[in-house]
Amino acid sequence: MADDFEITDEMKAQIGQETEPWTYEVTTTGVRMYARGIGSTDPVHYDVDFAKKQGFRSIVAPYGFLGTPVFHPDTNDGTFGFPRRAGGPRLNLPFKGLLDGGTETEYFDVICAGDVLEETSHLADIKARGNMVFLTNESVYKDKASGKVVAKQRLTSIHM
Amino acid sequence: MVQVYFEDINVGEEIPQLKKNCSTQQLVLWAAGSGDFYQIHYYKDFAQSTGLKGLIVHGALKNAFLGQLLHDWIGEKGELRRFGCSYRGMDEPNQDILCRGVVTKKYQDGGKNMVELDVWTEKPDGKKTSPGTAVVTLPSKA
Repeated sequence: MADDFEITDEMKAQIGQETEPWTYEVTTTGVRMYARGIGSTDPVHYDVDFAKKQGFRSIVAPYGFLGTPVFHPDTNDGTFGFPRRAGGPRLNLPFKGLLDGGTETEYFDVICAGDVLEETSHLADIKARGNMVFLTNESVYKDKASGKVVAKQRLTSIHM
Repeated sequence: MVQVYFEDINVGEEIPQLKKNCSTQQLVLWAAGSGDFYQIHYYKDFAQSTGLKGLIVHGALKNAFLGQLLHDWIGEKGELRRFGCSYRGMDEPNQDILCRGVVTKKYQDGGKNMVELDVWTEKPDGKKTSPGTAVVTLPSKA
C-alpha cells in the first residue's frame, strides 16, 4: 500500500486560524431559488404571506441554505462563489481532483429571507488517506443585527 | 400537512420516504440556488476529463434532500437542530434517489422532546450513498 500523503507541521499549524468575516445574504429570491433547486413545493419557502401567517418573519430558508456569499469578481471564486479572503489556511495542495466529502449543519435559530449573516471559518481538521487529503472546514454564521450565532456548518472536501 | 407528535413515534420506526430523481435541469437549478457551478454537474466532457463516468448529483444537494425529508416530516411545530451526512457514493441524474430516515432515540432534554434519527439517500439497488444522522424536536400532544 502506498504511503499516506504527508501532512506537514506547517499544514497542521493552520488548523483553527480564523478567516476574516464575510457577509451572506438571505434574500427572498435566494430562498426561492434554493427551494426550486431541491424541488420543494412547501409554500413556506415561496409565499411571504403564508410564511408570516405561520409565524415566521418571511419565507423560510430550506435546510442546507445559509444564504449567498456577497460576490465580487475580484474576491470570490468564479466556480464555487466562495470568498477568497484574508486569514484562514493557505495549504497549496498539489491536487487537481476535488470531491465533496460531507456536510453537517447545526441550527440555533430559523433562518428567513431578510436575514443578513456574518460568517467566519477555520480549518478544523486535515488528514490523509493514501494519496487523498480530507479537509474539514467549520463555519460559524451569526445574525449581523443581533450578533447571535444562528448556525454552524462543517464541510469536508476530498482532494486527490 | 399533518403534524407528527412526540407521543406518536417509536424507536426503530421509519419516517415517510421522499423520492427524488434529478434531471440535469434540476442540477442546474440547484447550482444557481447554491452558487456551486462546478462543471462535473452539468458538463459531461468536463466530468469525464476528471475521471468520472459522467455527470453526478451534487453531494450537498443530497444533503439538502435529507433536509427536506426532515422538514416535511417534523411539520411546522418541529425544529431541526442538527443534520448531516457523508458522501460515500455517487448518484447520477435521471436515477431515483430515495431519502429515508429511521428513529434511533427519543428523550426529553430541558423540556424539549428530542428525537434522533439515522438518515440516508439510497440508490435503486439499495446502496446507501449519503449516510448521516439528525436531531430534531417534536411537539407534544399534552
